[in-house]
Amino acid sequence: MDIDDILREVDPTFDSIPDETRDLQSLTRAWVAERSSPELLEWPADGLFERVNDRIKQQIEKIEDMTGDMDPKTNFALIVIQTELERYKYLVRSYLRARIAKIDKHTLHYLSSHELRARLSPTELAYATRHQALLHNHYLSSFLSSFPPALQNLNDTTGNSSMIETPDLDTAIFIRLLRDMIVEGRGTDQDGNMDCKNGDIVILRWSDAKKLVDSGFAEIV
Amino acid sequence: MALPLPPGLVPTEVAFLCEMEMVTVVPRQRLESIPLLSGKTPALRPPHRAQLPLWLALLLKKQRRANIVAPPWLLADSLKDIVNQETNVDPEAFSLPPPPPMRSDGRGSARPYAQASSEPRPGETVLSPPFLPSCTGDAPSGYLPYHWLELAETLLAHAADDVPNAAEVRALLRDLQEVRAAKMRGSTAHLGAGAGGVLNLRGVGAMELAESRGFVLGVVEGVRRLGASAEAGRREEEEEERRNGGGGDGDASDEEMGF
Repeated sequence: MDIDDILREVDPTFDSIPDETRDLQSLTRAWVAERSSPELLEWPADGLFERVNDRIKQQIEKIEDMTGDMDPKTNFALIVIQTELERYKYLVRSYLRARIAKIDKHTLHYLSSHELRARLSPTELAYATRHQALLHNHYLSSFLSSFPPALQNLNDTTGNSSMIETPDLDTAIFIRLLRDMIVEGRGTDQDGNMDCKNGDIVILRWSDAKKLVDSGFAEIV
Repeated sequence: MALPLPPGLVPTEVAFLCEMEMVTVVPRQRLESIPLLSGKTPALRPPHRAQLPLWLALLLKKQRRANIVAPPWLLADSLKDIVNQETNVDPEAFSLPPPPPMRSDGRGSARPYAQASSEPRPGETVLSPPFLPSCTGDAPSGYLPYHWLELAETLLAHAADDVPNAAEVRALLRDLQEVRAAKMRGSTAHLGAGAGGVLNLRGVGAMELAESRGFVLGVVEGVRRLGASAEAGRREEEEEERRNGGGGDGDASDEEMGF
């Protein structure tokens, strides 16, 4: 038993942030990151979305129960609950739609390798596969079938250029540092590093920022 | 179905985010705790102050159920200090963001707010705006938090009677906005030679970022495209040097690449 555990037992405010609030923060951070990053990010692995969806379902059931009694006191609470539910649903929807936009744009890229496929949730993977199959069939029936067989591929890499479009990983993004650290970046004329503090907003290339974001030292804003 | 918006938060999304900031309210009516998805709200008992997210505080304000306490940094004196800091003391950089909120632990040292120890544990989420209490009644004065502009505008629009000296505050905010917008535009000048690919905008606000995101990123992209072939040549040279030098010369490129 750690001293922190003892402190937590005697002092209820010690770790006062409830799990629900932490989940909201994780969801918000995932949304902001997905909206701003040039490539698709990992699907949250710790079951965040299952938890969030379950809670939304329960909250909807609660609203259905509450609409039964028309007591003016609970009426206001109902308005608050519904307002919050809408805000929550907006976050979830916007997050999923931002991901679909990226999947749509570079479908073949995200289906091309095992590591990239692992970033998609099972539903997204099913969507991307089906979407690509439909698209390919459509191309085949409308024009590809009249090409010679050697030219029918959609993923040729001959002549040093791949047909599969990839997101530009050198796009500059804004990140916020979550601890004091030295940030290294690559520039056009020279590479450099900068001593930065917790809370600083820094512009650098996504390819340099990714390892900071993945390790939790920084977040995308 | 796919989201048609460009990458990066647009101003309406930033405003949405800002509505999650916690503010302090003084309730005028009793209100029981409400079980929300983001946790239970505190039970409101006048005249005890309580901390609520901005969206809920605005809802209560509109129904005259509560008054919002303006954060200390939004008072005229604090804003005057910041304007002075921005224009006279340091006309180059943004004024500093608020220091990370700390609370003491039982061992005589300080640790970040809502975090069990000074170093985050693996897997523990570090809190950041809008989840830090930077706009409550206890926030430090003299520092602009990340969502300063949106929060100030919202309060002045929907709860102007809760902000002391609203007219003066409004004028000061406009001054701040102008002087900081000029700095934001000027910041791209540092992106030229010698920037080394990292640019620090310490103290910038969310709405300012959203406004200039397209411009700043456009400049960075343009510079990168123009210099792309030079950069590729430089990297090849460095690669060559490293292979020839055997890594023992201690030249700059070795240090940078070797981490």
